[in-house]
Amino acid sequence: MKKVIVGNHAVSWGVQLARAEVISAYPITPQTQIVEELSEMCADGRLPARFIKVESEHSAMAACIGASVAGVRTFTATSSQGLLLMHEMLHYAAGGRLPVVMADINRAVAPGWNIWTDQNDSLSQRDTGWIQLYCENNQEVLDTTVQSFKLAEAVDLPVMLVLDAFYLSHTSEPVDIPDQADVDTFLPKREARLKLDVNDPRAFGALSPPDMYMELRLRQQEAMEQALEVFDAVEAEWGERFGRRYGAIEPYRTEDAEIVLVTSGTVTSTARYVVDERRARGEKVGLVKIKMFRPFPTARLRRALAGIPRVAVLDRNLSPGRSGIFAEELRAALYDLEPARRPGLDGYVIGLGGRDVTPDTIGECLDRSRAALAAGRAPEREDLWVGVKP
Amino acid sequence: MSQILIKDRIPREELLDSGHLACPGCGAPIAMRLVLKALGEKTMVALPACCWSIIAGPWPQSSLRVPLFHSAFETGAAVASGIKAALEMRGDLETTVIAWAGDGGTFDIGLQALSGAAERNEDIIYFCYDNEAYMNTGVQRSSATPWGAWTTTTPAEHPEMRPKKDMLAIMAAHRIPYAASASVAYPDDLVEKVKKAKGIKGTRFIHILSPCPPGWKIADEESIALARLAVRNRVFPLMEVENGERWRFSVDHPGEPVEPYIRRQGRFRHLGDAEIAEIQRAVDERWKSLERRVQHGT
Amino acid sequence: MPDDRPIAGPARGVSPAAASTTPGGRPVAGTVQGAPRAAVQATPVERPIADTVHGVPPVAVSTTTTLVNRTGSWKYIRPVYQDKVAPCNQGCPVGIDIEGYMNLLREGRTQEAIELLLRENPLPAVTGRVCYHPCEDGCNRRGFDDAVAIHAVERVLGDLALASPLPPPAPRTWPETVAVVGSGPAGLACAYHLARLGYGVTVYESELEPGGVLRYGIPEYRLPKQVLARELERIRALGVSFRCGVQVGGELPWSALAEHHAVFLATGVHRSRPLGVPGEELPGVRAGLDLLSEVNHGLRPELGRCVVVVGGGNTAMDCARTAVRLGAEVTVLYRRSRAEMPANEEEVFEALREGVHFEFLAAPVEVMGEERRPEEEALEAIRASFDEEDARRSALRLAGLRCTRMALGEPDASGRRRPVPIPGSEFLVPADTVLCAVGEEADADALPEGLPRDGGAVAVDALGSTGLPTFFAGGDLVDQPHTVAYAIGSGKRAALGIDRWLRIRAGELGDGTDLAELRYGPAGNVSMTRWRGDDPVQRVAPLNEVVTPERINTDHFRHAERHADRQHPLEQALGGFDEVNQGLAPEEALAESRRCFNCGVCNACELCLIFCHDIAIRRRGDGRFEIDYEYCKGCGVCSAECPRGAMAMTREGL
Repeated sequence: MKKVIVGNHAVSWGVQLARAEVISAYPITPQTQIVEELSEMCADGRLPARFIKVESEHSAMAACIGASVAGVRTFTATSSQGLLLMHEMLHYAAGGRLPVVMADINRAVAPGWNIWTDQNDSLSQRDTGWIQLYCENNQEVLDTTVQSFKLAEAVDLPVMLVLDAFYLSHTSEPVDIPDQADVDTFLPKREARLKLDVNDPRAFGALSPPDMYMELRLRQQEAMEQALEVFDAVEAEWGERFGRRYGAIEPYRTEDAEIVLVTSGTVTSTARYVVDERRARGEKVGLVKIKMFRPFPTARLRRALAGIPRVAVLDRNLSPGRSGIFAEELRAALYDLEPARRPGLDGYVIGLGGRDVTPDTIGECLDRSRAALAAGRAPEREDLWVGVKP
Repeated sequence: MSQILIKDRIPREELLDSGHLACPGCGAPIAMRLVLKALGEKTMVALPACCWSIIAGPWPQSSLRVPLFHSAFETGAAVASGIKAALEMRGDLETTVIAWAGDGGTFDIGLQALSGAAERNEDIIYFCYDNEAYMNTGVQRSSATPWGAWTTTTPAEHPEMRPKKDMLAIMAAHRIPYAASASVAYPDDLVEKVKKAKGIKGTRFIHILSPCPPGWKIADEESIALARLAVRNRVFPLMEVENGERWRFSVDHPGEPVEPYIRRQGRFRHLGDAEIAEIQRAVDERWKSLERRVQHGT
Repeated sequence: MPDDRPIAGPARGVSPAAASTTPGGRPVAGTVQGAPRAAVQATPVERPIADTVHGVPPVAVSTTTTLVNRTGSWKYIRPVYQDKVAPCNQGCPVGIDIEGYMNLLREGRTQEAIELLLRENPLPAVTGRVCYHPCEDGCNRRGFDDAVAIHAVERVLGDLALASPLPPPAPRTWPETVAVVGSGPAGLACAYHLARLGYGVTVYESELEPGGVLRYGIPEYRLPKQVLARELERIRALGVSFRCGVQVGGELPWSALAEHHAVFLATGVHRSRPLGVPGEELPGVRAGLDLLSEVNHGLRPELGRCVVVVGGGNTAMDCARTAVRLGAEVTVLYRRSRAEMPANEEEVFEALREGVHFEFLAAPVEVMGEERRPEEEALEAIRASFDEEDARRSALRLAGLRCTRMALGEPDASGRRRPVPIPGSEFLVPADTVLCAVGEEADADALPEGLPRDGGAVAVDALGSTGLPTFFAGGDLVDQPHTVAYAIGSGKRAALGIDRWLRIRAGELGDGTDLAELRYGPAGNVSMTRWRGDDPVQRVAPLNEVVTPERINTDHFRHAERHADRQHPLEQALGGFDEVNQGLAPEEALAESRRCFNCGVCNACELCLIFCHDIAIRRRGDGRFEIDYEYCKGCGVCSAECPRGAMAMTREGL
């Protein structure tokens, strides 16, 4: 069934198809439509779930954690400040190995108040132990929402699916909505391996001394590593059933490319347009879309980018005092390539706080990288700001 | 019976194990033990950070024979709400879900989540065992610390100069079906209230005064005696509030002078007669106000 | 009090400590120091998680319990169950386990309560009526609201005992026989206990019926003869034989008792001390004891309208109240003030209630006779030739008693302030009869020769031995308060002493007895049960220390009004010699037993267990408790909360 829906509702529909059992959320722009729609679904019986309308995002995540450790499928959604307020509990969900699924609508962080998109809210949760999946369009949003539950429950890790404020959240696109029965086969009811159980009473999360804590983190790390393979399997099954696959990373026209853009989120679509346009003009450019930011698909990115002369990373985010975060991650990922095959890397900071990223913006990035490549020049800085007033 | 014989009113089931890590004389394990006796094994505990995070035992131990989830400081009521929702979704309407928090996790950092849960009338029982300061971190003042008390953040030269927050009234103001204060020194009253609470649907709040020997600077063996004095002298009246309106006293409060209670605690050692008279005055005043509530509703 | 010098040799009685291990009896808390660990708490259960990598499950999830932490190692003092002695037990001159029977009664185990009582007291229906209950003086409840009405409970139990079937004859364990001379409370107690210990006992009594002061001294309105008769039946049923109407040392020489292996002397005191004033030889001046005896024999002598009783003791009160019942207006003359009166407070109260007038700080100076008309004297001479009764009537010829006011001076040897006459304060109290009740003494002529004496009393050691071979003594003959309870207590001590002496003589027992261990508290009487070593009440690591009020945690008790004895209405009381005090109904006695604090003895109230935050106190199958020192952190709450001082904190074993 095809429907024209906004990205937020694509999330809601995905949650409904996944038959989440406990939802807990707090309103924040631009996420609010997700929970409005879910509230209606819960109210009219389309989604038989308990919706706990908490008094804060912190409690939203806490309630999800409680429900998840009690063994059910849980979901929440938030954005920006709300996500930052949740931060403490993100660690709890991940360290507790709880497969909570959350949608984060990428929104810039105050002050000054800003409701438009950038990725600093989600990326500043990088080290909380959550799987992060960045989506490019509303179909992907819906598909990824359902897949996230399967992935999360397979590896006992929480999943954050991320979509851009307004460009996806409030933009209507046609979305194919799978049949519930098919989704049910794909994603059966959650059966928790460890949970609160009066017949097997155990304590979770007690004081963990130095001689034991580290192994917990090692196991968490191993689960993260495993998540990449599991994600492939989940996608493969999804693709078989529904004919759509996205990949943890997606190389696009990188064959014989001299310059490859690295993108995430809706910037990717604009970048695709630019790549197509430049290819048509004979420029050897391509792009690699990173969907999965955590676990970071390091090996795949190395394979995709090894031997490419120049890589231009488009970061709609900033680690102040350093650079764009994807650029930073990639520099580290590519460092171990043999020097001859290690690309030059330009990190572009663009589109913060919802500033438009137009084909021209991306074109400027490509042009600057081409010039640097031609001159055999290393980047002047690690943060190359594009689209800012001089 | 002249002796107040309570043994037949205390369930025999033990759901708390020995070897827990409470300090000698601590009231908190007695509170938990009695509460679990009243609730039975079909109970799940959401435990935000507090002394009990230690008492429950380090991983891989647990001193409870019921499921327990250690959680962040401010999340007791929210986590419990989530657990309850999950059980409901899986058709378990029998298991009682409780939050078990200290005074810091209730009066201070956890108040927002508690207020939210209470306002939503979540079907949980929220227990606050109140030792009147942040004891686990080494005796820092909380909003449950009584007027005049020494703590490490209210040194004797500048002791706590605000009255203890009236948590029971705050909870009653949420119009939850049941709120009560209880004491480890009155096990039968406590058990009765917990059993009563168990039979009610919605948010139930039980505030248990639980002395802390090192924090109150009292001898280990005095903890129960002092908790009892606090009731007898009306410093900590034992009450029940139904639907935020019907207030009642559940035990006798003879109204003994507060002075022996104050004098026996090292945390009040710096107080002179005038200060103790002031405490007495405040206790008397609050008692009158409570009596009015009992007589006339809120 | 008898001294506590150790009497050498191992005790036949089981020591209190050993008694705690005696099986059976009421379930009472105990401790099992040294019991095997396994019995205390099962090994902690390990419940591993299958999904374990790097030695850990995926999350910090518990796989065991805190039982793996032996937190008992934290402690530096440890609680122990340690039963102690209730003050009533120590205060009882008879040496009754009062706390013990109160607890049994509270638990509804009435028959066992009666049996426990009868272990120490042969005459509970008597003492329940006439004992002045020093037990209640020490009652720890006194400072809380009011002492437990122990006497009233004892009376109810005593009456229930009387209503029960008579016991079978006591098995005769030993070949020896014992003569008991005198059948007052001391003699009866000694005979009773010796019979129960397995001896043949013959009681010799000069009167025609046994009972001594119980029959001929104490007035009927305090102790109905019927009660005494039934108490005696029980003693007879045990196999004690009575030879009444035989004056040993008179028609029956002391040598005639040689057939017996031991003799207990309890002939009491019968000789009234004289007033020591002119005119006391006049007819109309009478010994109070004689009047009481006469009335108890069923006579109703004429005393005239005005009767003055001189003296302030219990005999004086008995005389005064008896005289009231004979129709007289009675004045009691006492040389000190009311505060110094040795008479029991209740007796004084009753006398006042019955209209007796008291003249305090007044002493007799001279008995004033009255001139008689010759014609009357002739008439009286004729009457006197008819019978003694009329002769007595002729004695009603007194004008009164000239008295002096007294003032209290310096304390005398007894610690009481010595009364000194106030010069020129003399006054006359009209009197038809003067009853002399200023004390009694033994009739020394009637006793065997060579008995060691201590002033007027027969000197005995702690167990009644006079030091003469075979002779033991007790009751009012020895230096102790002249009350029924003390008499019974001395009879019991002598029975114990005779048993011990005979067994040593027979070579069946060493000569060491730790008397202190047999006492209820350091100052209490001995316990026959402890001597026999068969206490049905299990005591735990008992300490022979009396529980002081500070050891009682009164927080755990509610105030409860003491049940007052029911008294006959005054007009009915004065109409005759019916028993005045009606005591309590059985259900009221039960209520009194519930008022008992059970000082010093665990009654399984379980507060220790309830307040143990280490869950280290557990019930055992036998209803007792154990402390698991592997986990007890030694906080002391159990001991502090124990309502009755039956626990203690100790460094022992650490």
